[in-house]
Amino acid sequence: MPTFRANLLRGGVRQPWGTIVAFLLPAITFYVALTAYPAVRTIWNSFHKVLPRREEFVGIANYSELIQDEIFWKAVRNTVTWASVSPVIEVTVALLLALALYAKVPGARFLRVAWFTPVLMSYIVVGILWMWIYNYDWGPLNVLLRAIGLGKFAQPWLGSPDTALASLIVVTSWMWVGFNMVVLLAALHSLPKDVVEAAELDNCGWLAKLVFVIISLIRATLLNLVVLSFIGKMKIFDLVWITTKGNPLWSTETVSTYVYKRAFEWTTFDLGYPSTIAMVWFVIVLGAVLLLTWLFRMREKLEY
Amino acid sequence: MKSQLLSVFAGAAFAWGALAAQAAAQTKEITFWSHWAAEWPKRNFVESAIADFEAKNPGTKVKATWYEKNALYAALKTALRAGQAPDIFYAEPDQVEYLENGFLLDLSELNWDAVEPWAKEVWTYNGKPYGLPIEAWTVELYYNKKMLDELGVKLPENLQLSPDAFLDVVKKAKAKGITPMSLGAGDRPFTGAQLVHEALLKKLGVEDYSKLLAGKLQWSDPRVVEALTWVRSLTDAGLLPATFTTMKLAESHIYFHTNPGALTFLNGSFYTSRAFNPVDKGGQPADFPLGIMQYPAVPGAVCNECRTITVGGSYVANAETEHKAEVIKFLNSFLTPDLGNRWLENVKVQTGIKSDPSQLKDKQAAEYFAMIAKTNAGTKYHFGLPIQVMSGKPKEVFTQVFNNAFPAGNISVEDAIKEMEAAY
Repeated sequence: MPTFRANLLRGGVRQPWGTIVAFLLPAITFYVALTAYPAVRTIWNSFHKVLPRREEFVGIANYSELIQDEIFWKAVRNTVTWASVSPVIEVTVALLLALALYAKVPGARFLRVAWFTPVLMSYIVVGILWMWIYNYDWGPLNVLLRAIGLGKFAQPWLGSPDTALASLIVVTSWMWVGFNMVVLLAALHSLPKDVVEAAELDNCGWLAKLVFVIISLIRATLLNLVVLSFIGKMKIFDLVWITTKGNPLWSTETVSTYVYKRAFEWTTFDLGYPSTIAMVWFVIVLGAVLLLTWLFRMREKLEY
Repeated sequence: MKSQLLSVFAGAAFAWGALAAQAAAQTKEITFWSHWAAEWPKRNFVESAIADFEAKNPGTKVKATWYEKNALYAALKTALRAGQAPDIFYAEPDQVEYLENGFLLDLSELNWDAVEPWAKEVWTYNGKPYGLPIEAWTVELYYNKKMLDELGVKLPENLQLSPDAFLDVVKKAKAKGITPMSLGAGDRPFTGAQLVHEALLKKLGVEDYSKLLAGKLQWSDPRVVEALTWVRSLTDAGLLPATFTTMKLAESHIYFHTNPGALTFLNGSFYTSRAFNPVDKGGQPADFPLGIMQYPAVPGAVCNECRTITVGGSYVANAETEHKAEVIKFLNSFLTPDLGNRWLENVKVQTGIKSDPSQLKDKQAAEYFAMIAKTNAGTKYHFGLPIQVMSGKPKEVFTQVFNNAFPAGNISVEDAIKEMEAAY
C-alpha cells in the first residue's frame, strides 16, 4: 500500500491548501496582531521619537540616552537584586515546607491549604495587606517588635530606602512559596519508591538521602521553579505600583515601573524612549535566561 | 388585507425613522469626560451646571462620563492618540503635553472677563488661553485651636510664627506626645513637597524661586541651602509623623482631625472637600476647633508673605471637536458670578471663576472663606506647584527627593542638592 508521503512525492495527492489555511489563519492572525506586530513595532519605535500625528527617526539617540540614564540603572539594579534573591528564598523555603508535608507532619492538610492560599490572591490585595502589616504605628510587625522589647527596630519598612526593597522581596516570597511548595510536593510524590527504599536499605542517613537522592531526583523541577521565579521577578510591576510606586528615592523602582512612568507619567506622549527601555530589557532578560540554562546544563529537561 | 397591513406598518416605521433622524439632526451631543467621579460636591456642581445649560439650550445635550483621575488620564492618552477623545475633558495645567501636541482648542472666545486674571494666566500658552480654570487652591497651614491653646501658644496678629517660635511649638508638641504636623506623601506627588517649596518660595521670593524651578538658579545657592537646612531642623525635631512616607492624603486628613490628632496640617485649601463631609464619610468632628495660620516665617527670607496658589481641576476642549460653537457656549455657561458662588457654596474650595464670598449663605462656607481671606491678606502669590512648572527628569527627581525622601530624613541637604543639580 503506497504511503501518504510516497503519494505526495509522486504528486498523487494534492495539498489541501484550503483546509491548511482555514486551520492556521485564526492562530496566525492572533499571533501576528498580538505578538509579532507589537514586537516589531516596539523595535521600530525604539529608533524613533513617536509622538501623536508625527514620528521622527532619531537613530540610536534613545539608546545613547538610556546608557546615561541613572534612574534606569537604579531600576535595573533593584530588579536584578529582586530576581536573584527571590528565587533562592522561594524555592528553598518551599522545599522545606514540601518536605514537611511529604513527611506528613500533624495538620498537613490544613497547612497545605494555608501555605498555598497567598498565591490565590491578586497583587492588589497582597499589596494592601502588607501595607497594613508594615504600617509604622499599628502594623502587626512593629506592634510585635515593641511587644517583645525590640521597639528600637520598629520602622516604616516601606518608607525607608534601606528596608523598602527587602520588605517587598519578603512579600513576593510569602506569596509564591505556596505555589513552589505544591509543585515540589507533586515532584516528591512522584519519586521512584524503589530508589528511595534502596537508599534506606543501604542505611543512608536522612541528610544524605535528602541531598543525594531526593534533591538529585527533583533537580529538574527545582531548576524550572528557579527560572520561572527569576523571569517573574524580572517583570514585576503590580506590587510595586500598589505599595511604593518606586519610592523612596527609587529604592523600589523596577524596570517595568520605570517604563510605565516614562510612557504615561512623564508629561510626554513619546513612546520611543519607553520602547527602547523595553527592548533593552527584553534582550537582558533573554540573555539571563539563556545564561541560566547554560549554567544549569539542563536545557533538555527545562520546560518554561 | 395582509399586504395593506404590511404597508401601514412600513409607512409607520418609515415615518418614525424619519422623525427620529430629524430629531437626531436637531439635537447635538457634546461628549464630556471628567474626574471627580466620587467627589460628590464637585460632581453635583458640574451636573447642576449641565442641567442648567441643557434647559437653556434644548438643541444640545451633554453626555458626561465620570472617572477617577488616573483612569481618566490613561483613557485620554489613548483616546487622543486615536482621534477619539471627547469634545470637552478634565485637565490640570501641568499637562503641557496636551498643549505641545496641539490637542487643545484655543478658548480665546470665552468670556474671560468673568475669570480671575491669574487663573487665566496659568492656562495661557503662547499667548492663548486653553483651559477653563474651575478649581483653585492655596497652600494653607491648618491647626487645632484647642491643642495650640493647651500648649500655651498665642499667634501674632499676622498669624505667622517666627522661625524660633515655630520650632519651639514643634518641640513642645513633641514633648507632650502630639505629632506637630500631619502630612503624608503616600499617594500624591506634591503633598510632602509643600513643606519644602513654601520655605524655598519665602526664602527666595517669587522671581528667584521661579528661576530655581526652571533650572536658571543653582540648587547649591547658599539661600537654598539655608532654607533646606531650616526645614531639616524642623523634621529633625520630630515635625512629621513616622508614617509620613506611606500616609495617603485621605489618611493625613483623618490623622489631623480625628485619630490620633495632630497640632497642624499643611494642605491645599481643598481641605474642605474631605473634612467638611459628614463624620461617617471621613469628615472632621462637628465641633472640631479648626484654625488657619500662616506658614511660619523662614530665617532670612525675602518674602515671608509669599505663598503658592494653583489651579487644579479645569476643563479643556478637544482641538478636533466638530461642535466648536456648542463647546464654547457650554464652557461659557460656567462663567457667571452665580456659578462661581455656587461652586464656593457647595464645594467650599476657591475657584478661578470670579465670585463674591461675601454673598455666601452657607454659614460653614462663609466662615471658612473668611478665615482663608484673613490668612491670605497681603499675600504675594506664586502661581503653580513645582510639579506643574517642571517636567521630565527635574520633575521626577524633585518628586522623589522633596516630596518624599528629604522630609522623611532619608537624604541629607547636600545629597538632595546634588540630585537636583544633576537632574537639569
